[in-house]
Amino acid sequence: MSLLELKNVYKIYGELHALDDVSLKVEKGEWVSIMGPSGSGKSTMMNIIGCMDKPTKGEVLLDGVDISKESARNLTSIRRDKIGLIFQQFHLVNYLTAVENVMLAQYYHSLPDEKEALEALERVGLADRAKHLPSQLSGGEQQRVCVARALINYPEIILADEPTGNLDEANEEIVVDLFHKLHDEGTTLIVVTHDPEVAEVAQRTLVLRSGRLAKEVVNENFTGKIRFDNGNPIK
Amino acid sequence: MFGRMIRGTLFRQWKKMLMIAFTIALGASLASAMLSVMLDVGDKVNQELKTYGANITVVPKDASVLNDLYEVEGGSSGIYLREDELGKIKTIFWAFNIVDYAPFINVDAQLDDGSDVTVVGSWFNHHMDLPTGESLDAGVASMRSWWELEEGSWLDEQASGDSAMEAMVGTALAQKEGLKVGSTLNLKGSSADLSLKVKGIYDAGGEEDSQIYVPLNTAQSLADLDGKIDSIEVSALTTPDNELARKADKEGTSSLSVAQFETWYCTAYASSICYQIQEVITDSVASPVRQVANSEGEILNKTQLLMILITILSLIGAALGICNLVTASVMERSQEIGLMKAIGANNSAISLLVLTEIFITAIIGGFAGFFAGFGFAQIIGRSVFGSAITMRPMVIPIVAVLVVIVTLIGCIPAIRMMLRLRPTEVLHGK
Amino acid sequence: MSKRRMFVKMITASLMRRRSRMIVALLSIAIGATILSGLISIYYDVPRQMGAEFRNYGANMIFTANDGSFTAADMNRGAADIDEENIVGIAPYRYENVRIHERPIVAAGTDPEGAKAASPYWNVEGEWFKNNGEILVGKNVAESFRIKVGDLLEVSYTPGAKSDDKEADSEATSQEDEVVLDNTAYLNVVGILDTGGSEEDYVYMTLADLETLTETSGRIDVAELSISATADELSSYADKINSTVPAIHASLVKRVTASEATVLTKLQALVLLVTIVVLALTMICVATTMTAVVAERRKEIGLRKAIGASDKSIIQEFMGESMLLGLLGGILGSVLGYVFAQEVSSSVFGSSISFRPLLVPVTILVSIAVTGISSLMPIRSATDVDPALVLKGE
Repeated sequence: MSLLELKNVYKIYGELHALDDVSLKVEKGEWVSIMGPSGSGKSTMMNIIGCMDKPTKGEVLLDGVDISKESARNLTSIRRDKIGLIFQQFHLVNYLTAVENVMLAQYYHSLPDEKEALEALERVGLADRAKHLPSQLSGGEQQRVCVARALINYPEIILADEPTGNLDEANEEIVVDLFHKLHDEGTTLIVVTHDPEVAEVAQRTLVLRSGRLAKEVVNENFTGKIRFDNGNPIK
Repeated sequence: MFGRMIRGTLFRQWKKMLMIAFTIALGASLASAMLSVMLDVGDKVNQELKTYGANITVVPKDASVLNDLYEVEGGSSGIYLREDELGKIKTIFWAFNIVDYAPFINVDAQLDDGSDVTVVGSWFNHHMDLPTGESLDAGVASMRSWWELEEGSWLDEQASGDSAMEAMVGTALAQKEGLKVGSTLNLKGSSADLSLKVKGIYDAGGEEDSQIYVPLNTAQSLADLDGKIDSIEVSALTTPDNELARKADKEGTSSLSVAQFETWYCTAYASSICYQIQEVITDSVASPVRQVANSEGEILNKTQLLMILITILSLIGAALGICNLVTASVMERSQEIGLMKAIGANNSAISLLVLTEIFITAIIGGFAGFFAGFGFAQIIGRSVFGSAITMRPMVIPIVAVLVVIVTLIGCIPAIRMMLRLRPTEVLHGK
Repeated sequence: MSKRRMFVKMITASLMRRRSRMIVALLSIAIGATILSGLISIYYDVPRQMGAEFRNYGANMIFTANDGSFTAADMNRGAADIDEENIVGIAPYRYENVRIHERPIVAAGTDPEGAKAASPYWNVEGEWFKNNGEILVGKNVAESFRIKVGDLLEVSYTPGAKSDDKEADSEATSQEDEVVLDNTAYLNVVGILDTGGSEEDYVYMTLADLETLTETSGRIDVAELSISATADELSSYADKINSTVPAIHASLVKRVTASEATVLTKLQALVLLVTIVVLALTMICVATTMTAVVAERRKEIGLRKAIGASDKSIIQEFMGESMLLGLLGGILGSVLGYVFAQEVSSSVFGSSISFRPLLVPVTILVSIAVTGISSLMPIRSATDVDPALVLKGE
């Protein structure tokens, strides 16, 4: 059984078909990129997978459970348990420190545990910045806090929306490297992006166009590991 | 383009702007309501204090001393004021402040059983048409508001019946003589005998309880004193005494300089009204009744001070409320402002834009608030004093200046923050 | 770390690290609470304070004798029936016909302190009389005899003379060598009395002086009392005195009591209505500020939802924060309100205001309620929206 399966999903706003009969499967441990130009339905798909929106028609099976008919309340708890979100704008609470922002996710999930939160920050290489406020962190550091927050509750899926959209190249590399690390550890990753370089490193790239799945590219060269050399990934 | 941007904010962000306008309206209404009430409370309380009765008495010159010294028969000195001059009191400089007055004449008479009784002639609800075209109902019915009617009703001079042959009797006398409403009262005066019908019995809680009150002319005819009166009681709205009034009082009007005298004459002090009454009533001495006049001044001053302090507190409250909201709502727009800076707007352009928007909102809110506040003032006036609060023109500029200053102050921290803002920081999501 | 500690930590972090915004909100709540507690204190204290001002109108109760005259002891027994702290002034009066410059004048003997307290409106040119040997002369008397402050006034009395005495008068003047000799006192004129009433025709001296002059003592004709109480309380006092002290008839001065009741009721209504209007407007003002403060954080609410917070926990946190602000503002406001009321009371009435402990919890509860209710709406509207929309759109 696939971890995530979309069956003939439609999302219709009036005349506009944001998603038009989309079907796809994501297996456990897979790393999938979703690409497409603006208005292709990426965000809509991301919101549906992230349990923040419901399809107009069709089924969305997450871990074998159809989440397309769930109430908003249940969606919140499913999201809390199974999904880790990473945003383009980072969205950290600006009056909480890095470690407190991570603990926030623990707090809503179960119990806040400072030690565990610090370990998560260590995994993203930010152990020494734990007590800093978001305004004292660089963009890349903020995004890494965001990643730490997303993975703290061991979600089934990490869903990243343009995670590198606001980052410079150096920070972009750090984040992509983190994704590799997560993938190696067996985390399922779905990355929405329109940066081909970020998309290409995934195992599989799905291309959306006008709400339809236009193309599926399997990365034959995927090695599972990626090493950076002078700022360029070695394929 | 500037206009278009302003319109854009006002119409597209109308919810936020409405909120600012609403808060400014609240503040402005609070300010205008409190200011209106505060400025009018003196007059209103002054009116209320009229229930204590006259604050000025007018007697013939030297009457009281002569009365005491020579013990003229019948308790009268033979010196009287003239009834035909009574109307002149409503022609003095402060005529408008004279709310009520009544003439009095005391005559002695004998009842059927031979006992002496004082008969007081006065106005009850005497109707006067003034030269100004207004009319006034004056007399003891309104000047003795503390009298309790035990039986019957007030004598009505304006009624079609023969009110001249009616009388009101004090409760003590009524008890002693066994008088009831409708009884006939035979009075033997020095020049005439009259039979009067008892119209009402009152309890005044004082010496009046053993007296008889009759219409002025009825009392005059008892003692052949046509056209003569003993004293006049005047109820006037007065300004509490200050230094100037005390000086005029103590050292006489001659001690005042011309300018001081003019100020004194043109201010409604009890003493200047007395002075003006003396000018129109021949051979009279008008003096303030200290019990009423002094206490009135005290209470008026205190009430006004109290209202001023409450007004100040509410103005501060209103000002802070407006300030807060303006600050909060301008700060909220840092992103938009960062963007404008990024595409080349300079500081003054941005400040101008923000200020114009806020001020258009403030003007709308201020207007609405001013009228709402005036409405609140009317509610207070109507329900407390049963009369409208006068609209004072000076409230308008005060409220306007207040709203402008407060809005400006509210904008200052926000504008300072905006000017320091670096476009990159804002746009790269902080 | 427990959930509760994290909850507290988040709220304190929000308050401490967003300091400037929170101070703005706190200030607005505190001002609201100040107005609330200040005005309510004033509202409750105004009748008392204003009542005291109305004592300027002088005596509102008089004792007269049921039979001829009464003694100082009777007066004190009557006064004992009235709560002591309510008595503003009590003045015994005894009236006698004396002669000044061989003319009969009514002289009143009284207690100078009591008379001053019971008739505060008496206007005296010169000094108030204080001691034996001093006399206060009514304005009319002073004018007719050209008496000035500082004069030594000869006051004579014919013992045994009855009230109205032309004969005694002429007798005394013509037959100086008769057995009935006049008692004479030389008194210092310390002040001229101006009241605009009949008091201007009298002279006032101490009761002891009058007793020496007349060689009779222990007699009082009238006592004037100025009592700070409502009309109802006054009549119950009067009834009580009339039943317990047979020598005295206590009656109310209707002119003063009835008028005071009318005017005081109006003033109270005025302060009440002003309080209501000001409070209503201030509370709405606080509510809009809180609404703005919370509405600003829509995005944060969206984020919390996105990372898995339930609506309930978001409402709990934000409400917790608002109510904490309400609590702080309420405490601050209670203190400031008391200070304000105290300030008003001392500058208007020159007296201090009583502290009302009940007002503190009321102020705090109202502050919490107002901030809570006014934050609830924007919080609810933010949690109702899809987190995705909040995070995306501006």
